[in-house]
Amino acid sequence: MKSALIIGISGQDGAYLSRLLLDKGYRVAGTSRDAQMASMRNLKALDVQERVRVHSASSTDFRGLWQVLEKERPDEIYNLAGQSSVGLSFEQPMETFESVAASTLNILELLRLLGRPVRFYNACSSECFGNTDQPATEDTPFRPRSPYAVAKAASFWAVANYREAYGMFACNGILFNHESPLRPTRFVTRKIIAAACRIAAGSGERLELGNTAVVRDWGWAPEYVDAMWRMLQTGTPRDFVIATGQSFSLMDFVARAFAALGLDHTQHVDTRQDLLRPADIQVSRADPSRARDILGWRAAKAMPQVVDAMVACERERLSAQEIRT
Amino acid sequence: MSKKVALITGITGQDGAYLAELLLSKGYEVHGIKRRSSLFNTNRIDHLYQDPHVDGRNFILHYGDLTDSTNLIRVIQQVQPDEVYNLAAQSHVAVSFDSPEYTANCDALGTLRVLEAIRILELTRKTRVYQASTSELYGLVQETPQTEKTPFYPRSPYAVAKLYAYWITVNYREAYGMFACNGILFNHESPVRGETFVTRKITRALARIKLGLQDCLYLGNLDAKRDWGHARDYVQMMWLMLQQDEPDDYVIATGVQHSVREFVQAAAAELGIGVRFEGTGVDEKGYDANTGQCIVAVDPRYFRPTEVETLLGDPTKAREKLGWVPKTTFESMVKEMVRADLRDAERDNLCKTSGFKTFDFHE
Repeated sequence: MKSALIIGISGQDGAYLSRLLLDKGYRVAGTSRDAQMASMRNLKALDVQERVRVHSASSTDFRGLWQVLEKERPDEIYNLAGQSSVGLSFEQPMETFESVAASTLNILELLRLLGRPVRFYNACSSECFGNTDQPATEDTPFRPRSPYAVAKAASFWAVANYREAYGMFACNGILFNHESPLRPTRFVTRKIIAAACRIAAGSGERLELGNTAVVRDWGWAPEYVDAMWRMLQTGTPRDFVIATGQSFSLMDFVARAFAALGLDHTQHVDTRQDLLRPADIQVSRADPSRARDILGWRAAKAMPQVVDAMVACERERLSAQEIRT
Repeated sequence: MSKKVALITGITGQDGAYLAELLLSKGYEVHGIKRRSSLFNTNRIDHLYQDPHVDGRNFILHYGDLTDSTNLIRVIQQVQPDEVYNLAAQSHVAVSFDSPEYTANCDALGTLRVLEAIRILELTRKTRVYQASTSELYGLVQETPQTEKTPFYPRSPYAVAKLYAYWITVNYREAYGMFACNGILFNHESPVRGETFVTRKITRALARIKLGLQDCLYLGNLDAKRDWGHARDYVQMMWLMLQQDEPDDYVIATGVQHSVREFVQAAAAELGIGVRFEGTGVDEKGYDANTGQCIVAVDPRYFRPTEVETLLGDPTKAREKLGWVPKTTFESMVKEMVRADLRDAERDNLCKTSGFKTFDFHE
């Protein structure tokens, strides 16, 4: 039986990846900074909490991680931990560096020290590219525009360097935005879906957004964790862009969400200057050809289907709340 | 107009010393941050030292460390600098493979700490920042020569940390309108270059071999090609960058490339030694053409897990926008370094022959 360790198991991707790996017959363990205190609501939501072992460990703590690795002896490690909000990174650049870049280096050093043939996946981000005039591939130079993106760029190159210097099986997944009902509401996609559903239910509120002209490639998180797994099953470690290949503006996203509920978004949305970030990416486009050619992976859901699926889940959640109250 | 105030992190290093000299000559009040050490570490700036008991000093040192935010915030608050030159770093590529976390802490996070200190103290409109970036960012070069537009491909924990520092500097310029510049400096040397860096290691060893204080010089990759300039020229450009109307990033290089082997030959020639290289790879050896003695050999322990084979800079932008051209040629730089190391070796030799103990300072 193969075993996997998911560092940062309590987040959206950690939960979906847990479910995927369990379905494939893996023994799955994970870490969370405080396994006792964390809510593990994502693992609960997918009904996998009882089937994974969660250890308390910070990915910046060498000793803590070492102990977990000794206990679990994983064949594969997925590094999904880290402060994941671009907006928050402007307020917490240090913590972002520590949890994103320093922790990746920490894991790489631990793997170097232990010298076991562990396969390592590192969660990189499309934020590294900054604005993309042409759809970004694995060869597109980085142009990061936030402390989050700069930290992710550093983690990307640390992985590449350890792969080249020490022959490690280590891959970066350069994932474009991937959404699901497990996204917390501080992410704009979930914020939009949640508000639209409340408005449809008669809340009468207004939805306030920052820059709605930004263009993004939104995919479906449950599909993206499959790409992570595939990366570690190939013969040669490489980096992959994971995306749908289709980009839309945030306003398109908003329009689709309201339309799915039979509403006209122009009647319910306000844009506010003070929600703008100090520096933002205008256009994000991807070319996921390599993932298709080498991993045989292709996104089935693009933005419209992602929105529909999120709306459906949100409505279920709302009606479940109504029944309870 | 009151005199300008500059703060230099890494003032005890090669570039810090040259830059301090330059800024003092321009009438600046120069503050420097040095790390506390049980050993004296200020030999490169001893000639600039001013007695703290006299009034009107314009060269002032503070204890500090890039790994300590509280310290940086306090020093910057006290000094209220017009210009900050962030030169402090763990700057040795090979050491970064041994101490990657420390390198990341100083070089990557250290830069963020400096930028954050300026932001927290609300000095973003007043204080201009120079960030010491490096040609090591190009690593596995994607094109030759390298310009400001060449994509990065870092090949060491040092280069990865410096990549973070480069982009976080760009980000603070874009996000907060700070006047912050990256100087992408190609290798720059001088007689006060650290003794463990290959150029200084060569000039020092050959001078000592010349006087019989040492037998053989062990090196790593002799084929590595670098664009070597003189540090004294390069600090001019650091200053120039901060005097422009707009902040920008610049490649600083000579545009001329030599191999490590060629550096050895140039340095040896300056000492009147002809070197004949024979063999290849780890078996390559350099013999004194006169005596036949093996004076250069390859030691694989100086190879790096990932080598940077070639670096060559295109300084066109710096020339056109800053009007900057390097003054010192490769040959005259090698000459200056060899002369200085020969003097040191002669001093050591004299001490030894007079019965005094000297330090050999092995790596």
